[in-house]
Amino acid sequence: MADALVIKKLNKRFGGLRAVQDVSFTVRENETLALIGPNGAGKTTAFNLIMGFHRPDEGSVTAFGTEIVGMRPYQVCAQGLARTFQVAKPFGGMTVLDNVMTGAFLHYRNPEEARDKAREVIEFVGLSARESTAARDITTIDQRRLEMARALATQPKILLLDEVMAGLNPSEVDQAVALIDKLSGSGLTIVIVEHLMRAIMAVSKHIVVLDHGQKIAEGNPKDVMANPEVIRAYLGSYAHSPNGGVA
Amino acid sequence: MVGTIIQAVINGLLIGGIYALVSIGVTLIFGVVKIVNFAQGEFVMIGMYISFFLSTQLGIDPIVSLVVTMPVLFVVGVLVQHFLIRRVLGPNDMPQIFLTFALSLLLLNLSLMLFTANYRTVHTWYSDEAFHFAGLYVPYAKLIAFVVAMALSGCLWVFLRTTDLGKAMRAASQNRDVASLMGINPDRVFAVAFGLALALAGAAGSLLMPFQSAYPFVGQVFVLMAFIAVVLGTLGNVIGALVASLLMGIAESLGIQFVGADSGLLVVFVMFLLTLVFKPNGLGGGKAR
Amino acid sequence: MRWVIGLIAAVAVLIALPLVVESAFAIDICIRILLFSFIGVAWNLMGGYAKQLSLGHAAYFGLGAYTSTILQINYDISPWIGMVAGGCVAMLASLPIGWLCFRLRGPYFTIATIATAQALMLIFLKFRDFAWGAEGTTIPNLGNAPLMMQFEEKAGYYYVVLGLLALALAINYKIEKSWMGYYLVAIGEDEDAAEAVGINAPRIKRDIYLISSFLTALAGTFYVQYIYFIDPATAFSFNVSIEAALVSIVGGIGTLWGPVIGTVLLETTSALLQSWLGSGIGGIQLTIYSLILMAVILWRPTGIMGYFYELAARRRARLVKA
Ligand SMILES: Nc1ncnc2c1ncn2[C@@H]1O[C@H](COP(=O)(O)OP(=O)(O)OP(=O)(O)O)[C@@H](O)[C@H]1O
Ligand SMILES: [Mg+2]
Repeated sequence: MADALVIKKLNKRFGGLRAVQDVSFTVRENETLALIGPNGAGKTTAFNLIMGFHRPDEGSVTAFGTEIVGMRPYQVCAQGLARTFQVAKPFGGMTVLDNVMTGAFLHYRNPEEARDKAREVIEFVGLSARESTAARDITTIDQRRLEMARALATQPKILLLDEVMAGLNPSEVDQAVALIDKLSGSGLTIVIVEHLMRAIMAVSKHIVVLDHGQKIAEGNPKDVMANPEVIRAYLGSYAHSPNGGVA
Repeated sequence: MVGTIIQAVINGLLIGGIYALVSIGVTLIFGVVKIVNFAQGEFVMIGMYISFFLSTQLGIDPIVSLVVTMPVLFVVGVLVQHFLIRRVLGPNDMPQIFLTFALSLLLLNLSLMLFTANYRTVHTWYSDEAFHFAGLYVPYAKLIAFVVAMALSGCLWVFLRTTDLGKAMRAASQNRDVASLMGINPDRVFAVAFGLALALAGAAGSLLMPFQSAYPFVGQVFVLMAFIAVVLGTLGNVIGALVASLLMGIAESLGIQFVGADSGLLVVFVMFLLTLVFKPNGLGGGKAR
Repeated sequence: MRWVIGLIAAVAVLIALPLVVESAFAIDICIRILLFSFIGVAWNLMGGYAKQLSLGHAAYFGLGAYTSTILQINYDISPWIGMVAGGCVAMLASLPIGWLCFRLRGPYFTIATIATAQALMLIFLKFRDFAWGAEGTTIPNLGNAPLMMQFEEKAGYYYVVLGLLALALAINYKIEKSWMGYYLVAIGEDEDAAEAVGINAPRIKRDIYLISSFLTALAGTFYVQYIYFIDPATAFSFNVSIEAALVSIVGGIGTLWGPVIGTVLLETTSALLQSWLGSGIGGIQLTIYSLILMAVILWRPTGIMGYFYELAARRRARLVKA
């Protein structure tokens, strides 16, 4: 299968902090790749670098063969990449439907068409009942669904999901896993950042582990989980953070 | 020629001291409370009127009246923070900008109603006196104002470095959560920051009174200057604001000297715009993407 | 359907108004209301929908006023043409000004817009060769000359500014209903999230600034034709910038009718004050305005229109329950 997203030697410093160091990995077309690592490992920063929210100090990112480093986020989006934000960023004053329509406008400039497309996606993520509620008035969990719907409305080929399952109860996690399976079934390439091992095992056959900005392991779930470096990284994060980092 | 330049630099430096008091106030509020106080200039104006009336009614020297204007404006600041500003703190810019802006309009126009647009001048024994040396001319009133302004800025700096409350303010200006971790009630920190900033504005008013007439629009000149200085000096940075203010004063003064009497402000604006062009990231307002 | 009938009726009343109302004072107030509604709508496109809170729209008001006046006095060109030319000059000016100011966000954007408008005023104060310096100039009174945008009756001006307002509302309506309207609101809510869904935020902001400054410049031309006088303090008056923002915020930021409602409220209040107290007490108008503004911000941040929407939403919710 062809390569969808190729990341090579990505580097980003914030002052003295090396948030992402020499990270390389490849996401194949229609694969679901999980990017994991303890808190502060650099996962969100990696997303920001890929999507053009930060400019990498060094490194390259190609999406379907096109170099996207140096593009602004809206240009990256036009290349067929979409993301969700770890801390949801809904357009609070707009209704759920209008929020998703802003995504749909990328391909459908006519409001009627955009509305129809938006409704499809809202239905898909299960937010139809909230369609005409202001986005600031829905629960945080619904706001995460909204994040997904808005991203999907841009009809991406590659979807980056940043901790969309945080805070869900077990049955909601099952729903989310089913949703991601369905997306993958429709041909989408997905990169998912998640702390919940159960969910990762369910959706992904390929895992990349970051720690302190560096890639410390990569491979299938079983090998990665048995990797001593990975275990050390996660134990270290338990030891350092008072509330125990990983779920 | 060299003499003229030196004279212009001296004039600018002296008035820059006053700009510094105003812009340090603006930057303190921005750093700690995270809002821009558009009304800062109006508090300078109020300080001037207080000093004016103390001087004409009770015969108190304007510079001595610092001891009244500063505490009065400190209390005003605490009240403003408590009853107005506190209610609009949050992620949304619009209410914050327009609340302090409305406050500025209100104070300006109230004083227009109460005091009329007339210029009010206080004449002290040192108003017309000046040092002369080497062909240069240093008016006492401006020199005193400059020295006191620098002393007050120094006191604030020491306060921010040494006291718990001051340290909490510095922490708050770097990171909100740190302040609450230090066990200091953020509302109190905010109120004191606002009070201090307004006290500095009041001090600027008193210091101006011996050589500058009071009128309702007087604050606007200073606040514009202060905003520019604060932007140039990187937001929330006291020393930066101080240095930028002195430079602004000098630039303005050189503008008056060499471009024309009405061009001081123009030069400053041009400087501001050039800075926007060439150094947008040094301007704290441009958030990193 | 009811909506359309209401609109037609309102338009009919507005057209008939100068035929019925005799008092020049009343017509003058109507003209002021229409003019500031127009400026408010122009501001609201950028300030309200996209939340780019400019306090420097006087720059474009002044450029419009000066362009048409210079063309008229120095080159005998009709202000009708001058008006469009002024709009174009304003659009050209908005490109570098926007390029500068949009580098800043939040309050610092606002300050930068104030500074650019002030700088323009200072420039016009200084350069007397082409623009009469600080004294300004009167515009020659040609009697009744509709082709030169001069009318003996105030009604003439009334219809001109009514037309302008209708134009602005139509543009606003079109934009609001299109993808552009959604994009503007999205940018106003969260620029990062907007870019993440493919919105070219810098371009959209530039485009709306072009439209907003073009319209504001038209108002400038109209205003100096109406008062037959121009000087930098009038043309670049900070009060224009303030009122443009104020009427929108009070009426309802980011809504089609907000600026109109805000202007009606503020201007009638100020007219009433004037007739009670005379215009002798300087500052009273803005004192009242600022109190209204504070009250709106503290208790009704979505403005009067926002309040109506809330009421309507609550009623709908009750109907659904019942
Ligand atoms: N804009 C920024 N400026 C400075 N430092 C940053 C910035 N963004 C992230 N960092 C730092 O970079 C490091 C990596 O952060 P990042 O958010 O990428 O971690 P993460 O893996 O997503 O963690 P989490 O699981 O907590 O979301 C952290 O130490 C963080 O404080
Ligand atoms: Mg993260």
